[in-house]
Amino acid sequence: MQNEIVLEAPLTINWAINNSCNFACRHCYSRNDTHDELPRDVLFACLEKVAKAGVLSVNFGGGEPLLHPHLLEIASFASGLGLRVSMNSNGWLVDEQMAVTLKKAGFTKVGISIDSHLPAVHDGFRGVAGSHARAAAALGHLASAGILTSISTVICRINNDAIEELVTFALEHRAGQLNFHNFKCSGLGLANKDELDLSPEEWKIFYRGALSAKQREKVIDISLDDPIIALLGARDTASMVKGSVCGKLSLNIKSNGDITPCGFIPVVIGNIARDDLRQVWRDSDVLDRMRNKKPTGKCSGCSKYEECLGGCTARALALTGDMNSPDPHCWGSDGKPL
Amino acid sequence: MHNIHRNPNVMWREEVDALAEAQAGLECGDDIGDIGTAVLFSGGAMLSINVLGAEIWKLCDGRGIEEIVAELLEQFDVEEELLRSDVQAFLDDLTKKGFITYAE
Repeated sequence: MQNEIVLEAPLTINWAINNSCNFACRHCYSRNDTHDELPRDVLFACLEKVAKAGVLSVNFGGGEPLLHPHLLEIASFASGLGLRVSMNSNGWLVDEQMAVTLKKAGFTKVGISIDSHLPAVHDGFRGVAGSHARAAAALGHLASAGILTSISTVICRINNDAIEELVTFALEHRAGQLNFHNFKCSGLGLANKDELDLSPEEWKIFYRGALSAKQREKVIDISLDDPIIALLGARDTASMVKGSVCGKLSLNIKSNGDITPCGFIPVVIGNIARDDLRQVWRDSDVLDRMRNKKPTGKCSGCSKYEECLGGCTARALALTGDMNSPDPHCWGSDGKPL
Repeated sequence: MHNIHRNPNVMWREEVDALAEAQAGLECGDDIGDIGTAVLFSGGAMLSINVLGAEIWKLCDGRGIEEIVAELLEQFDVEEELLRSDVQAFLDDLTKKGFITYAE
């Protein structure tokens, strides 16, 4: 009874409702994005459009979404439309009262960005003293309010050898999920790439360790969203999507309504205020190319290509200008994945 | 331990065009088993299911397997024992994925 399916609309939307932020993270992908924001009534109409198209969930981000003056009202409205509402936040503004308010507004899950188990490292990376302590406290407040929590950690040179410590930190703070995100080389991530990104060999070592932790840990779900872990034979068997999920399960909407395949691919394929979401999803040439990637270079002949489909499209595009190029993080060579 | 419930954390929807295609095929007597008409989605895990799977999923509202089978027999022209076996296998898979739970 399980079948291949062509989705008629994205399952989830990552929605950067604002780009204002109280932090100065060294890898920020949206620091140079537009600060134009959709007016309240237009945004509400767009949420209705998204729900009507069949989208199941929206994950608000930014910027720091809690700096949006109408976030709670927006979340409540979206929740009332039947959308599952979640958010990624730096946690700075989440105190005990805010956590309860978020629960009442309909948030079912909140992800908190934490880059290191070490406060000084996290604070230095995020540019705000005390940010680690408040992020850690936010996890507790949210859990106490009955909101599922996750920790989002972008893997880079400050944390790639701290897998065990990060897992311990997540367990201590009752996080339901620990997301190890790959480093995308977008925005400041591109500008600071040489300082922060790992070599392909280092990525291999990291993923071996992370997969080992994922297999071992039963209490917390360790999530790895990088398609190149297929090289280690480790793609989630429950996932029906090969390669990146962007443009196959999800889309990104920017604060001005522009639609992009994901937050790290700066290619506008429509605008939610102007266009029909299902039509964009179905007819976009960019999405078509992402869904039908062709192996080039060392991907040609690689035994894992059908699983990883060249890895992260955003990274390939950012560093080579061609989404079909092999993911620059890939450690495989001459058609051999290991 | 016989009542079957959908996990409320699982998001799901039926795909309108695919469902219309399957229903048209059903009326013509075509084999529509390969047409995915609904998608279940939870925590990064996704499952695409056909018309029969979707009907089973929708019936996981506190009923037991015998009630589900009885309901499906009214909708589908299929041999009862084969249907019961298919339903059990599908429910086992959903249980394994954490998409359904059994309760008293």
